[in-house]
Amino acid sequence: MTSTSNVARSSGWRVQRLPTIDGRRRAIAYAIAFVLWLALVGGGLSLASFAVRDIVLRAISVTLGSSYGIQQTLTLAAPLLLTGLAVAVAMRIRVWNIGADGQFYMGAWAAAGVGLFLPEGPTWLMLTLMAIAAGLSGALWILIPAIGRAYLGISEIITTLLLTFVASFLVYYLASGPWRDPEVPTQAATARIIYELPALNDGAHLGIPISMLLVIGFGIFFNYSKWGYEITIAGANHDAAEYAGIPVRRRILQAMLISGMLAGLAGMIELTGVVYRLQGGMSNQYGALGIPIAAVASGSISGVAAAAGFFAILLNMGVSLQTQGLSVHSVLAITGLLLFLVAAAEAAARFSICRMSASLAKIPASGASI
Amino acid sequence: MNQIAAEMPASALLVEMRGIDKSFPGVIANAGVDLDIRHGEVHALLGENGAGKSTLMNILTGIYQPDAGTIHIDGQALSFRSPRDAIAAGVGMVHQHFKLVKAFSVAENLHLGFGDKPFLVSRSTLRRRTEALEQRFGLQISPDAIVQDLSAGEQQRVEILKALIRGARILILDEPTAVLTAAEALLLFDVVRRLTADGFAVIFISHKLDEVLAISDRITVLRGGRKVATVPKDATDDRNLADLMVGHAVTPQANDRRLMERHPAIALHDVSTPAGQDGCRLDSIDLTLFSGEIAGIAGVAGNGQRELSEMLSGIRPPVEGAIRIRGVDFTGRDAKAFAKGGVGHIPEDRLRSGVAATLSLLQNAILREYDAPPISAGPWIKSSHARQFANSLLAAAHVSAPSIAMPLRNLSGGNQQRFVVARETRIASQVLIAAYPTRGLDIAAAETVRAELLALRNKGVAVLVISEDLDELMSLSDRLLVMYGGRLIRERKPPWNRNELGMLMGGVGGGCRR
Repeated sequence: MTSTSNVARSSGWRVQRLPTIDGRRRAIAYAIAFVLWLALVGGGLSLASFAVRDIVLRAISVTLGSSYGIQQTLTLAAPLLLTGLAVAVAMRIRVWNIGADGQFYMGAWAAAGVGLFLPEGPTWLMLTLMAIAAGLSGALWILIPAIGRAYLGISEIITTLLLTFVASFLVYYLASGPWRDPEVPTQAATARIIYELPALNDGAHLGIPISMLLVIGFGIFFNYSKWGYEITIAGANHDAAEYAGIPVRRRILQAMLISGMLAGLAGMIELTGVVYRLQGGMSNQYGALGIPIAAVASGSISGVAAAAGFFAILLNMGVSLQTQGLSVHSVLAITGLLLFLVAAAEAAARFSICRMSASLAKIPASGASI
Repeated sequence: MNQIAAEMPASALLVEMRGIDKSFPGVIANAGVDLDIRHGEVHALLGENGAGKSTLMNILTGIYQPDAGTIHIDGQALSFRSPRDAIAAGVGMVHQHFKLVKAFSVAENLHLGFGDKPFLVSRSTLRRRTEALEQRFGLQISPDAIVQDLSAGEQQRVEILKALIRGARILILDEPTAVLTAAEALLLFDVVRRLTADGFAVIFISHKLDEVLAISDRITVLRGGRKVATVPKDATDDRNLADLMVGHAVTPQANDRRLMERHPAIALHDVSTPAGQDGCRLDSIDLTLFSGEIAGIAGVAGNGQRELSEMLSGIRPPVEGAIRIRGVDFTGRDAKAFAKGGVGHIPEDRLRSGVAATLSLLQNAILREYDAPPISAGPWIKSSHARQFANSLLAAAHVSAPSIAMPLRNLSGGNQQRFVVARETRIASQVLIAAYPTRGLDIAAAETVRAELLALRNKGVAVLVISEDLDELMSLSDRLLVMYGGRLIRERKPPWNRNELGMLMGGVGGGCRR
């Protein structure tokens, strides 16, 4: 214990937490994060004697500077929009759907089944059937975790995660076994699905606008419907929702089923828009990426659009960087660093540094709240 | 016994706080506060919510560091950098919410984290040491008793003993009677008097004027972060103290108990439920609340009050029996239906279950009426109507906020409570269930809430007030029902017999609280 006669009257700088953040603050914080990222990556790469300027310029031009690059980015964005939306919908009621990858596989599986084994029909009809089958299949894949979570209090984090492995191996098994295309012996994949999502004029497929519309539609629905309000209340405070007579368990079940459905739909869109054959590994971790996308969007449904676009650009840049001689690990480190800085920026935007005045003359008239 | 406490005073004052300033971003919590504590005195610290009492005590216990000002203990200037420093200087605090390990015995709790004990110690050694300590301080509790089996008063005694054996000479009691029954409060006062007779000083934080006048030697009143006055008990009375606290004259509300035309508003017929969170089962309850009356439920918390209020507001459906609102059967319907049927509910833990604190004022405002016109249309919520509604609710609650998009948790506790009260009285066209409606409120705010309950009653609403505060119940209620062990055991009408009510509430103990 120290004995000093007087505690100094302080008039220094202090960090203060803000109750709300406006768009401008957030934009500034993100811009700082981005600049910092460029500086760190650039510094690191030039130490490793890479031609930093060339690499960065090429990465940007490949991703955003050509119509092919933009189309590539949009194609990557389509499944990310849906898996991000899937995770964000569940997150809204404080549920983590870690298994969007599994529901993605099951959606692709159901769509492939419809495409391969049902009698031939007009493309629009078959695509609709495939979408319905994929949505149902994704929802079914999350049904048991959803019931467990809503009615028995079993952690959905474990159950959805573990079922992902089951789905992934199931697809590997089918694609390399019973459903394998015998005419292409070099490839462990099913026969080519004859129904494809219509291409848009610049080469991107119809799944992109559909995914975008779904994100916007869900954004509106969550913000302006009673159902969305109930989900938000139940997610923020379970007790308050029960107090107001909101059927919390039913809402958890519904939100999780919709989450699974959206991830399943992402599988169908990837199958009929990009891959055309059911095969192992086809999810490219899109389901898992839905988690950071929803987290970056921080609970906002419409924020998923921006976050998914951002991730699509990152993925595409990563591809371009790899073609320029960077290892996969460096690319992962570089994208990871950006994610970290963005998350830090989001948190930092909540704080402001202000100067405390030394004078304490101004006392609030009524009792101040502490 | 004097040798236990201070060696003979080196200074006339035990504690001397001078010119304490402390500000938080946007708030000045203490400004130039002086506080003197003498040896052997009970010094009450009186003030409304937000007056700066907690901040001042957090500075004295080393939790906060003051922006300016000095602290002397026994004439020696000290600065506390952590609670550990304050404990070493002899400052001990008993918090309102006990910080005990409930599954541990009394002896284990007393020695937990206490440096002055062998590293390895057997149960019997612990018991012996505990008995010796209890002897020394004259506070008897069975060392082997498990804390969760003890009553609130006994747990408090464990807390006091814990502070004393760590060498406290200045004992701060934060609203110590809030959790006690009337009988337990009297026992606490005995303990306080014995301690001060031994030379200990006690700082007694409260906003109950009668208690402050009963136990203190001197009273310091804080308002808006500043010290208003320090007065000897004999030089003041309750009116004077209330005026000092509030800053203007207070007129207490009186219940005129007018007779009105009455009809049954809500009725429970032979209702039973299984045990809830408090472990209390409701046992064949028959209760009819009439329009235009205030019925009080008196009882020690944990005797089924929570279950009763949850049943009356539709949160907890009964397993047996029936509930009718204005003669219509509501058995098994949900809380939303009850709200639409005109039942408002101020829940006992309103800041936890009555609001979603991280969400906006707007989202919290419409919690009870989002599912009815004009706020909703079909499956949609009309945001213009919702905004309008939220603004009018804030005005009715006399809560001012920069924006209805602000998270509710940015309001002070008192304002959050006013917000809930305004929201619930709005929908209470038939019945209002008010659980501990003034708990945690300061005098002025509590008076406002009581006035609102009386106004509702006079408009013909049936009001049920659940409280542990007999004075409040006796001043508000038209009749009182005593709850004990999950049953309504007696009904009483005025004139009240305070002693009888206190006995009925259970001098025996905690009912079905475990």
